[in-house]
Amino acid sequence: MNDRTENLLLALPGVLLLALAFFMPIAQMLALSFSGPEGLTLQPFARFLSDSYYLGILWRTVRLSLLITAICAAIGFPLAYIMTKVGPRLRLWLVVMVILPLMTSVVVRTFGWMVLLSRSGLVPELLRDWGFVGRNFALMQTETAIVIGMVQVLLPFMTLSILGVLTRMDGRLEEAARTMGCSFLQTIRTVVLPLALPGIVAGSLLCFTLSASSFVTPNLLGGTRIQVLAASIYRSVTATPDWPFAAAQAVILFAGILLVLIPYIKLTGSKHG
Amino acid sequence: MKAKLSTAVLGLSALLGSTAMAQDNTLTINSFGGAYEEAHRNCVITPFEEATGATVNVVTAYSADAFAQLRAQKDAPQFDVIHFSGGQEIVAADEGLLSPIDAAALSNAGDLYDFAKANLSEGEGPAYSIAAIGLVYNSEAITTAPTKWTDLMNPDYAEHLVLTDISNGYGMLGFLMLNQVQGGDLNNIQPGLDAVGQLLDAGALIVSTSPEIQQEFAQNDAWIAPYASDYAYTLRNAGLPTRFTQGEEGTPASFITANLVAGRPNTELALEFIDLTISADAQACFAEALRYTPTNSQTELAEDVAADVAYGEEAVAGLLRFDPTVIEANRSTWVEEWNKAIAQ
Repeated sequence: MNDRTENLLLALPGVLLLALAFFMPIAQMLALSFSGPEGLTLQPFARFLSDSYYLGILWRTVRLSLLITAICAAIGFPLAYIMTKVGPRLRLWLVVMVILPLMTSVVVRTFGWMVLLSRSGLVPELLRDWGFVGRNFALMQTETAIVIGMVQVLLPFMTLSILGVLTRMDGRLEEAARTMGCSFLQTIRTVVLPLALPGIVAGSLLCFTLSASSFVTPNLLGGTRIQVLAASIYRSVTATPDWPFAAAQAVILFAGILLVLIPYIKLTGSKHG
Repeated sequence: MKAKLSTAVLGLSALLGSTAMAQDNTLTINSFGGAYEEAHRNCVITPFEEATGATVNVVTAYSADAFAQLRAQKDAPQFDVIHFSGGQEIVAADEGLLSPIDAAALSNAGDLYDFAKANLSEGEGPAYSIAAIGLVYNSEAITTAPTKWTDLMNPDYAEHLVLTDISNGYGMLGFLMLNQVQGGDLNNIQPGLDAVGQLLDAGALIVSTSPEIQQEFAQNDAWIAPYASDYAYTLRNAGLPTRFTQGEEGTPASFITANLVAGRPNTELALEFIDLTISADAQACFAEALRYTPTNSQTELAEDVAADVAYGEEAVAGLLRFDPTVIEANRSTWVEEWNKAIAQ
C-alpha cells in the first residue's frame, strides 16, 4: 500500500460523511427547486425574483447581515486588541467571558433579549424613565432588536478570529512604529489593522454567513412581520407547504452567500495565505 | 422524499400494528399529546379500558400527521379510531379512508346536537368537542366586556391587541371571522386583510404560537386577542385575569371528531369507543379539564366551567364552521397574501 492509497483510505470516512450529510441533501434541494408539475422549470425562481415582497426580504437579509457584521467588527477588533495587551490572567478571564455565552443555546440567549427588550422589559423601561422615548416605545419586533440580538450571538466568532491573528503579531512592530513618530491611532491604522486583516476577514465571513442564514433569533426578536430569508423558507415549508419554492429560496440564499465568499477569498487568499 | 417518509411511517405502524392485529381486544387510536392526551386518557381511554377490558394503544400524532399516516396506510390501515381537529375527516371520508357510521349503533348519538353528527352516513365521524373561537380578554384592563367581533377595531384596544398568524389553525379561523364581519367571505379575504392592516398600523401585534399569546398577556400589557376558549382557561391557570366571550356575529368553531377507520376488523369495539367519547360524562370531563365546548346536549357542567365555553342550545346555535375544504384549497394563496399584508 503506497502513501496515496493510505491517504485516500484515511480521508474516506470524512468524505463519505460529507457526501451523505451534505452533498446529497444539497443536490436534492437543487433538484427540488427546479422541479415543477411538468418536469424542469424556472418558475419558483421567476416568482421570487419578480415579486417585490420577496426581493425586499432578500434585501433585508443582506442589509442586516452586513450591518451586524460591521458592528461585530467594530466591537470585536478593539476587544481583541485589548486582550493582547493585558496580562495573561486578565486575558484568560476576558477569553472566558467571550466564550461563556457560547455555552448556552442561542434560543435561551434570544429569550433573554426578549425579556429585556419587551414592552415592559428593562431596556424600554429605562429609556422611558430617562425621558428618551415615549410611552409606547417598543424594541421587540423591530429590526433593531434583531441587530442587537444577533451581534451578541455572533460577537465571540469575530473576537476570537481577530484574537488568533493579533496574538501572533510581533509586539516590536508597534514599538518601532511609535519610535518613528506615529501616534497611537496611526500605529493602529498603519500597522495593526493591516496585519489583523486576515482575522477580520475570517471573522466577517463567519458573521455574515451565520447571520444571513440565521433563523431563530430574527424570528423571535423580529416577529412574523419582519421576515428574513431563512424565516421565509421555513414558512414556505410549513405554512403553505410549497417545497419547490422553499428550495428555490434556499438555493438563492446559498448562492448569495457564495457570491460574498468569492471576492473575499480572492482578496485575501493570495496575499496572506 | 415523501415516498420515503411514507414507507418509514408504514414500517413503523406495521410494527405498532402487528401486535394489535394479533389480539382482538385491542384498539389503536391517535391523540394530540401533552395536556390534551392526559385529559383524553382520564375522560375516555381509561374508563373505556375499565369498562370493556380492552387495551388501547395511543399514538401521539396531530391531525395533519395522523391524516398523512392514514393516507400512507391506505391498503393496510393501522388505526381503529382516528381523531382530527382540522376538518381532515371531510377529505378522508371523501377518499374512502373512513367508514360510514350508522347513528343507531351509537347509543349517545341521539343526544348530540345536529351539527355534530351531520355527515355520519358519509363517513365523517361525530364531533365530540369543539374549540370555540371568540374574544379572550383581560378582565382587569377591560372592565366592560367586549360583545362583538367588531369591538376588535376599537381604538382603545389598538395598542393592546394581539392577533395570531394564520399559519396557526385558530389564527386562521379568527381571521376568517374578522374578514366576515368586515364584509368579506371565503371567496374574498381582502376586507379582512385591510382590517388587519389598519389594526397593525394602530399598534397591534402579531404572534404565531399560543405560548407567545401568554407571553404578551403576562409581560407586555396585552388586553385582548381573538382566540380559543380553551386557551383563555390555560391563561387563567397561569394566574392571568383572562375571560372568554363569544362575539355576537358568530363563533367560528374548530371541530374535534372521532372517526371510524375503514377496513379494520374491530369495528364493534371501535364504535363502542366512539360511543363513550361522545357520552355526556366524557364531554363534561373534557370541558372540566380543558374547557372545550361539549356537543352532547345532555352534558351537565358546573357554573364556572359553563362560563368558559359555549354552553346550551342558544350559545351553540351561534357556532359556525368555515368549510375546511375551501380553507385547505386556498391555504397557500391566503398565507402568501397575509404575509404581504402584514409585512413591514
